[in-house]
Amino acid sequence: MIQTILTPMFAETDASTEMLEKLGFLTPEIALFVTTCLVMIIGLSSSRSIRDTIPIVSVIGLGVAGFLAYTNQSTIAGAALGGIMPFLKTLIAIVGIPLVLLMSGTVDRDYENAVARGLPFDSIRSNRGEFYAFLLFSLTGLMLCASADDLIWLFLALELTSLPTYVMVSISSGKAKSQEAGIKYFFLGAVGAAIFLYGFAMIYGATGTTVLFAGDGEYSITTAFAADLADGALSPIATLGVILAIIGVCFKIAAVPMHFYTPDVYEGAATPVSAFLAFVPKTAGFVAILLLLSAVGWGFGAEGTSLPEPIRITLWIIAALTMTFGNVLALLQQNIKRVLAYSSVAHSGYMLVGVIAGPGDGGSIASNGLGAVLFYILCYGFMNVGAFAVLACLERSSGDEIETFEDIRGLCETNRVLGWVMVLCSASLLGLPPLLGFWGKLYLFTSGISAGEYALVAILGLNSAIAAFYYLKLIAGPLLDEPGESAKGLRETPYVGRVIAATVSAVSVVALVPFVNVLANAANDAATVTPAQAQTLDGSEAKIESPRSDDDA
Amino acid sequence: MITSLAHIAEPVTTVAPDIFGDVGVSLYHYLFVSATLFALGVIGFLTRRNMIVMFLCTEMMFQAAGLALIAFSKYHLNHSGEVFVIFVLTIAAAEAALALALVVLLFRRRETLNAEDWALLRG
Repeated sequence: MIQTILTPMFAETDASTEMLEKLGFLTPEIALFVTTCLVMIIGLSSSRSIRDTIPIVSVIGLGVAGFLAYTNQSTIAGAALGGIMPFLKTLIAIVGIPLVLLMSGTVDRDYENAVARGLPFDSIRSNRGEFYAFLLFSLTGLMLCASADDLIWLFLALELTSLPTYVMVSISSGKAKSQEAGIKYFFLGAVGAAIFLYGFAMIYGATGTTVLFAGDGEYSITTAFAADLADGALSPIATLGVILAIIGVCFKIAAVPMHFYTPDVYEGAATPVSAFLAFVPKTAGFVAILLLLSAVGWGFGAEGTSLPEPIRITLWIIAALTMTFGNVLALLQQNIKRVLAYSSVAHSGYMLVGVIAGPGDGGSIASNGLGAVLFYILCYGFMNVGAFAVLACLERSSGDEIETFEDIRGLCETNRVLGWVMVLCSASLLGLPPLLGFWGKLYLFTSGISAGEYALVAILGLNSAIAAFYYLKLIAGPLLDEPGESAKGLRETPYVGRVIAATVSAVSVVALVPFVNVLANAANDAATVTPAQAQTLDGSEAKIESPRSDDDA
Repeated sequence: MITSLAHIAEPVTTVAPDIFGDVGVSLYHYLFVSATLFALGVIGFLTRRNMIVMFLCTEMMFQAAGLALIAFSKYHLNHSGEVFVIFVLTIAAAEAALALALVVLLFRRRETLNAEDWALLRG
C-alpha cells in the first residue's frame, strides 16, 4: 500500500527502493505514530466529551497496528533474527491494548472527579491527552526496537521507549512520591543510556560501521564479528562494547547491576504505570540484547552453540545474580507493589537463561532459548498486567492505593472476580502447571538444559522454589484466608477499563493454554537464526591476518 | 579503505598515528580523554548529591561517548560516527529539557536541590 503511494515520489534508484522496502516493514509503527499524533490533537480539544474518546482512539490505533504487524510478514534483509519482527510487533500491540485499558483514570484523577462534581472544565488544566500520547510514543519506540537494523536506529528507538516513561511516572499521580520516583527513574535511565551508548561507540570503533545487518552479504557488524570469530575471538574493543551495551540495557530489563531503582519506582508510580514499566521497557531491553547478540551469533565454542566466552560469562553472572537478588529481596517485602517489582527483576533473570542458551539447532522450541524468551515475554506480559491490574482496581476508602498482603486477604470472598484474577496470575507467575507461565518457564528450562547450562538451570530451579514462598502468599491470601479488617474497608475503583484489563489478562493466562503449541511454534519460527557469512571490511572473505593497508590515510 | 581492526588494541607505537595530523595526537589520545570523561561522569554521579550536578555528570558520560564516536569516525574515514553524534546530541537535548522540568517540579514542592532530602521511597 505504502509502496504504491510513494513510488511516484522517488526516482527508481537503489536508494529509493531500499527506502521503500524499509517503509514497507514499518507500517505498524507508522499506524501507531499517526494514532499518537491524533491523540495529541484530540487532547487539545476544549470539549470534555471529545477528550474522553482518547482511550478508544488509542485502542483502535493499537488494533490497527497489531493487524498490520500480523499481515506484514516482511523481514530485515540479512538479519540473523529476521523473523523476530512480525511476531514481536503483533505481541506488543496485543499486550498494549490491556495496558491502555488499565490506564483509565490514572492521570488528573482528582481534577476529573472535581469536574464530575460540577467544577467547570478548564481545558488547560487536564493533561490526559499528553499522557496517552506518551504511552503510545513509548509503544511506537518499542516496535521500532524490533525493526532495528542499525545501531543509531536501535539507540533512538530505545530512547523513544524510555523518555516518555519518565514523564508518565512523574505525572501518574499528583503525589510527591510519583515525582520522586520519576526523577530517580530518569537519572538512572540516563546513566543506563550513557553506558549502552558508550558500548555502541566501542562496537562502531571495532567494526567501522553502525549497520547491524545488511542484505546481499554487504559489510555490517554481523559480518565483521563473524570474521573476528573465525579468527578465534572478538577483538577486545568489540567485546568491551558488547558487554557495556548489555550492562547499560540491564537498566531497561531491571537486571542486577542496574536493578536497584525498580522497587522504589514501581512503588512511587501509580499502579497502572508500574504495570507498563514492568512490560514495555523490559521488552525493549530484551529485544536490544537479542539483536546485539544475534550480530555476535551463538556459533562460538567447540560445539558451535555458545556465545563468545567473555560475553557468556558476563551474562551468566548477571542472570544468576538477578534471579537470586530478585527472589530473596522479594521475600523481605511487605508492600505488594515492591514484591511484584522484585519479582519482575527475578523474571528478567529467568529470561536471560534463554538468551544464554541461544537458538540451539532451531528444530523445536524445546531447544531454542531465543524462542523461549519471546514466548516468555508474551506470557509475562499477560500475567504481569493481570497482577498489577488487581492492585489498580482496589483502593482504600481514603482513596489511597492498597499496599500490604493484609489488604488482599480473602479477596475471593469480598470480590470474586478480582480475587480469582489475583490467584490465577500469581499462580502463573509462580509457574504452576497447567497455566501459561508454567509453559513459558518449561521452555526456558529445556533450552538451558539442551545448551548444557546445567548450573544455571539448577539456579533457575532453586529460585523458582524460593519464589513460591511469596507467590503462595499472593495465592493463599485471597483464596483461603478470611477477609481482615483492612480488606473489608476496600472499595473498587470506578473504572471499567481496569477491570476489563484484569479479566482479559487472567482469561488469557488460562485460555491460551490449549494454544501453547501454536504460540510456541510461532515464537520458535520467529527466533530461528541464520548464521552470518564471515567478511572483513574490504569485502573479502575472512582471513587470519589482514594488516592495515598503507593507502588508507 | 581500512582492512582490519585487529591492530586497534596494539600499542600505539606500532600503529601509524598520523591520520589525526602530524602533531602526535593519535586515536588513543582521543579514547583516553573519552574514557576519562566517562569515568569522571560515573564518579561524579555517584558522589555528588546536587540534582543539577548529577544530571550534568550523565551529560558528561553522553559527551564521552560522542567524543569516542567522532574519533572512531575520523579513524575509519567514514561519516557514520559523526551522524550518530548528531542524533546523540538531539537525545541529550531532549533529556536536558526533561531533567530540568523534573527538577523544577521537585523544587516547587520542597525548596532544595539535594537528592538526599528526598527519601519517601526506601525499601
